[in-house]
Amino acid sequence: MEAIASVMPEVIETIPVPTYINGSHALMQALVAEGVETIFGYPGGAIMPVYDALYDFQERINHILVRHEQGAGHAAEGYARVTGRAGVCLVTSGPGATNLVTAIADALIDSTPMVCIVGQVAKKLLGTDAFQEADVMGVTMPITKWNYQITSADEVPDIISKAFYIAQSGRPGPVLIDITKSAQLELMTKPFTYERCQTIISYKPRRIPKQEQVEAAAQLINNAKKPYLLVGHGVQIAKAEEELKAFAEKTGIPVATTLLGQSTISTDHPLYVGWLGMHGNYGPNVMTDEADIIIAIGMRFDDRVTGDASKYIKQAKVVHIEIDPSEIDKIIHADAPVVGDAKEALKALLPLVHPNDHTIWRNEFRKYDAIENEAITIPTLNTPSGKIRMGEVIDMLSRKTKGEAVLVTDVGQHQMMASRYYQFRRPNSLVTSGGMGTMGFALPAAFGAQVGAPDRQVVAIIGDGCFQMTLQELGTIVQNKQPVKAIILNNNFLGMVRQWQQLFHERRYSFVELQNPDFITIARGFGMDGQTCSERENLSTALDTMLNHDGPFLLEVIVETEENVFPMVPAGTSVSQIRLK
Amino acid sequence: MTTYTICIFTENTIGLLNRITIIFTRRRINIESLTVSETERKGVSRFTIVIKHESREEVEKLVRQIRKIVEVLAVFGYLNDEIVYNEIALFKISTTLGNKPLDVETINQQYKAWVVYWGLDYVVIEKTGNDTEIFEFFNYIKRHDILEFVRSGRVAVGKTEKGLVEYLPEEAEWEHYM
Repeated sequence: MEAIASVMPEVIETIPVPTYINGSHALMQALVAEGVETIFGYPGGAIMPVYDALYDFQERINHILVRHEQGAGHAAEGYARVTGRAGVCLVTSGPGATNLVTAIADALIDSTPMVCIVGQVAKKLLGTDAFQEADVMGVTMPITKWNYQITSADEVPDIISKAFYIAQSGRPGPVLIDITKSAQLELMTKPFTYERCQTIISYKPRRIPKQEQVEAAAQLINNAKKPYLLVGHGVQIAKAEEELKAFAEKTGIPVATTLLGQSTISTDHPLYVGWLGMHGNYGPNVMTDEADIIIAIGMRFDDRVTGDASKYIKQAKVVHIEIDPSEIDKIIHADAPVVGDAKEALKALLPLVHPNDHTIWRNEFRKYDAIENEAITIPTLNTPSGKIRMGEVIDMLSRKTKGEAVLVTDVGQHQMMASRYYQFRRPNSLVTSGGMGTMGFALPAAFGAQVGAPDRQVVAIIGDGCFQMTLQELGTIVQNKQPVKAIILNNNFLGMVRQWQQLFHERRYSFVELQNPDFITIARGFGMDGQTCSERENLSTALDTMLNHDGPFLLEVIVETEENVFPMVPAGTSVSQIRLK
Repeated sequence: MTTYTICIFTENTIGLLNRITIIFTRRRINIESLTVSETERKGVSRFTIVIKHESREEVEKLVRQIRKIVEVLAVFGYLNDEIVYNEIALFKISTTLGNKPLDVETINQQYKAWVVYWGLDYVVIEKTGNDTEIFEFFNYIKRHDILEFVRSGRVAVGKTEKGLVEYLPEEAEWEHYM
């Protein structure tokens, strides 16, 4: 009898009872399989099972606790912009998710790959107005490239691989995955396997352009007398900087960039003529009216670039190289559209274009440079007395960092000044909120950029208004010991709005003056060093102190209160009406 | 204003209707009618959306924006002469004692409409046809007491030789209906 009894339990134990992992562990496994190293997140009720699984994955996934979900979103954007890989956010349902909305909209319009994983109430509570339930699918539908609600654990691997594929392929963008608490908790009914998504039947972005489109474009380019290259963000997204340079150098075509296209080509390259847009350079804007062929690559003719689109480049034929077919003819008619990845398109074009040297045409840009320098740049950088000008700070920073830093800017006057006066030498060096113009972007995005590019010097340029929108992320920077340098250009105003009120509303300064806190005391409160600089003669030392500081540093520079950004194409006018004062 | 019929082929997933209609809403384009049904391929839905617009260019842009939705397989925009289309209307007509009697012969032969249900003191008449034909009949029948009138959205097939599903991605392993 005894012998039998001792055998019995063993028999019972060997009966195979398959238990598989739950949805939360499947999510972690999927993220690991996708190669995710960093997550920016904030826990809460409906995402707790995932955070519980994350506890076991701390060695493999670096989770960064932000101070506000919007910060997680912008940090993920900053990370994505410098690495080219999707930034990942993890937040809870309801307010956690709605706090992410601004960053998602920002990522969509600036084509930034992002995967947002958002908790949701249990499946049986959907639609019952449960605690922290919000219709996040409905809210984010118009501002995501794709969104999906996971309601069972078995869906996790396929949906996560699809999410990363959609976010990172074609024209990149944000993807949101809403995952119910019940799906996080329930067990899978099959073993976990992960296969990276390679293709989706209903989604096939064209990478390699059609040969006939390339040939038509090449023909236009070869016959051009005054060709002009407008380079957008798409070239850096496609990592096509070298191909662009080879193309421009072979054809001798002058290159201008959009705001987000900056740093694609070094500003000291002889073919680089400047950047376009409302506050872009004089020559590049005016000369769009002189070109006979415009070659637009990876850009979408934003209204800040075109001014009045009905009067924009009417004299020119347009070659539009773009991965998103819905951008073709959206604003400006393309005579030769080339749908495809910028890198592939430029590779295909290169052998078909004739070597050329448009020296006379290119020199026409230089005479406008001289006018702009005379009217704006030289006076700004040689201000003899009075308060420091924003341009001086950026110019000095540019010299001290040799144009090698990653500049992360917020939105407004300081953003335009940073673009005007920083001499970019390396690709992927400007992270800014272009399309959405999101104030509060810079501090969290700079943090994310520093995490993504630990070997690079990251400097955030922030306005005093913007800083107060997301300043709690100083805590994230300090806790994670990221050596982010932040410069507040403090003019005590919401400067860009004030400038418009001055120029277009007869100086009726309606709610643009700020009573600011002591920013340095705030930084110190978070455990971050900082100092204020208000005198021109101290600026150089202050910048050196910041750049040489071991760890994060906040430098507040008190600047001229009512300085304006010029040149300026007033909203709704044509680019030829650009004003120098 | 020109009438355009937009045919959209999609995967059959939750929320897709919303995803499509917000593209119209954002551009302030009013939807005149909308119908959805599964196609001859299982798992593929077909939306037929009718809009009026003065600019063909804008409609083309709209079509490209719809194409961008991940679950959308194909989108086609048509003018009226490029499609065969129809809709169905139901008229609930009071037949209470003392009302004018219905002239069923005229209804059948002249208007090609049929009584499909006899209630105690009403009938339901079904009329299929294009919107002009339906309103011609409406104008005739309104002499009676119309209790309810409802039109379906437009359904349409293209006049091309091929079926539209031919344009769907080739490698699809869609299950055909019998």
